Amino acid sequence: MEAMKIMLVDDEERFLSTTQKLLTKKRIDVVTAASGAEALETLNHKYIHVVILDVKMPGMDGNETLKKIKRQFPLVEVIMLTGHATVESAIDGLKSGATDYLMKPTEIDDLIAKAREAFRKRLALEEKILMAQSRKYMKSPREILKEAEKPGQ
Amino acid sequence: MKQNPYAGLKKVILAGMILVPLIPFILVLGIGYYYFTTSLENNTIAAMGRIVYDHRQMIESFLMERKADLDFILNTRTFEDLRRPENLTQVFKNLQKGSHAFVDLGTFDENGLHVAYHGPYQLSGKVYDQAPWFKAVMKNGFYISDVFLGYREVPHFVIAVAKINQGRQWIIRATIDTQIFNDLVKKVHIGKTGEAYLLDAEGVFQTERRSGGSLMRKDPDRPKYGPVHEGIKTFIESDAHGEPFLYATTWLKDGSWLLVVRQEKADAFKALRQASYLIVLISVLYGAIIIAVAFFLTGHIIRRMERMDQEKDQLGEQLIRAGRLAEIGEMASGFAHEINNPLQIIKSEYALIEMIFADLKEKGEIKESEDLAELEDSIDQIKLQVDRCADITQAILQFGRKGEPVAKDIDLRSFIPEVAGMVANKAGVHGIAIEQEISGQVSNLHGDPRHLQQVLVNLLNNAIDAVIARHGSSGGLIRIESGPAGSGHVEIKIRDNGSGMSSENLKKVFTPFFTTKPVGKGTGLGLSVCYGIIDKIGGSMAVASQENVGTTFTIRLPSAK
Repeated sequence: MEAMKIMLVDDEERFLSTTQKLLTKKRIDVVTAASGAEALETLNHKYIHVVILDVKMPGMDGNETLKKIKRQFPLVEVIMLTGHATVESAIDGLKSGATDYLMKPTEIDDLIAKAREAFRKRLALEEKILMAQSRKYMKSPREILKEAEKPGQ
Repeated sequence: MKQNPYAGLKKVILAGMILVPLIPFILVLGIGYYYFTTSLENNTIAAMGRIVYDHRQMIESFLMERKADLDFILNTRTFEDLRRPENLTQVFKNLQKGSHAFVDLGTFDENGLHVAYHGPYQLSGKVYDQAPWFKAVMKNGFYISDVFLGYREVPHFVIAVAKINQGRQWIIRATIDTQIFNDLVKKVHIGKTGEAYLLDAEGVFQTERRSGGSLMRKDPDRPKYGPVHEGIKTFIESDAHGEPFLYATTWLKDGSWLLVVRQEKADAFKALRQASYLIVLISVLYGAIIIAVAFFLTGHIIRRMERMDQEKDQLGEQLIRAGRLAEIGEMASGFAHEINNPLQIIKSEYALIEMIFADLKEKGEIKESEDLAELEDSIDQIKLQVDRCADITQAILQFGRKGEPVAKDIDLRSFIPEVAGMVANKAGVHGIAIEQEISGQVSNLHGDPRHLQQVLVNLLNNAIDAVIARHGSSGGLIRIESGPAGSGHVEIKIRDNGSGMSSENLKKVFTPFFTTKPVGKGTGLGLSVCYGIIDKIGGSMAVASQENVGTTFTIRLPSAK
């Protein structure tokens, strides 16, 4: 199976570095971004499955970043990391297309579990897309016959 | 200190309430009294004047009648006729038929010789040419004497009339019975002390005075009556004994006799005095009533104001408390949010440390030792305390909850038993009975059922803790009541017979972080969160408690429309 690639987005440097170390030790491929802009930039040239996105950041905040990610990279699964610890802010994120949410302070194991779940969802989605795409090229004999009858098409 | 403004106000109200009715009352009473007394005084004095006038008329007509009697004799008889005693006796008897006032009768010639006499004394042959009465009658034609002793040494007075008849002057003289005259003058009756008497110009009593004053004695009060005057004079004077009298005087007999009618002032103005007493009585009674009513009403008003002020203070306190709670809520949720970031880092660091530790142990790079065990314990504590912090921030964030709750209609008749069921097990373990009394009339609520559930569970858990603190494992009772509370509201009461709270603690019960539980057992946020939730639904929450009796929480919520 393909290995999960995660991106952590938070303005807290120490949180990024420590969590990266932890995840790396658990053999999870992790990149980090210190802001929403940096996250979008990274997504442009790196293949990422799951983004873990802090809601409250200076500059472009989590929800805004989420909307941009979803517009530009619709397949990327996003998990909101909220310090608000309220259902309301999480609901906002979910409505904008986030897969799930985590409340600060969160256990590293919870984080990994939710990330894996999102990753599975992503894989399932990719598979569906793949299937749909292959449908395009795999034609039944009847279809081939039909097309032969209409040479103009 | 708080009593002072009321005391001042009380004085003002009291003064107003007493003075406003009292001033017109006193004015009316004073004016009425003045006119009444003046009129009564004038009436009394005028009555006195009338009496003295009538009395004078009577005395004068008595004297004139007696004079007329003698004139008649003088005109119908001759001197020759009446110088005979038997004729004189006959005439006297005729006179006596007309008036018993005559004591004797005598005939005199122009030389003052008493030529004939009829009476109780032996006066015939006496010569009176030097007597003042004789001189006066010779000069004026008639004479009414003052009372005098004369030859008989008995007080008497005489009426003499002279006539010139056939070229010679002759005189008849009669003595008037002083007793009859005395009675006539004295017979005035006014009140108890009213009396009338005659004085001569020197102040000698011509008739007896009922209150003391014998015939022929001198009245010591004579100077007070003043000189001879025309008509009637009335005045108030004290007599020799210092007793004030109302006097009415008039002169008669051409200024030789003074008729005095007098009455003790107190007696004369008795009606006036009675009226004064009545007025004083009415004033005192009415004044007392006004003062009593003023005190009663003022007390009533002040008590009412005090109560209203207290209510206002309480309301103000409630508003301040609600405002303060809202402020604290804002602040606390901001604080909790900020603290979550460092908590997250600590938690991650802990996870890293734990992982590295595990790695090192696995590789055998550190050996098991007592220090290591202590270090691990210490690291575990970090996780424990971070979790505790996380719980607190979680609670704070709930208290300062933002956004709208998910509202539904809640039927308390099924909702309360459901919530009670959640704590029934815990209550049962500690021998606490949970009674429920939910009125059939209770209407539905509109709110987030999860929030209301949180509130009720919180209150029930607190109640259970309080009951355990007091009763241990038996005898506890928690009662949940619910019913309509009027004006579109519903009430839920949670009553326990637990340890209760002191009034000091009761004041702070909704304040965040206030707890009576030991450290680590309670955050002190439960009730403030409940307060915040109920406030958000548009309801209110109140608490009443008594130490060692129990606590009652009352939630008042608007019912669903």
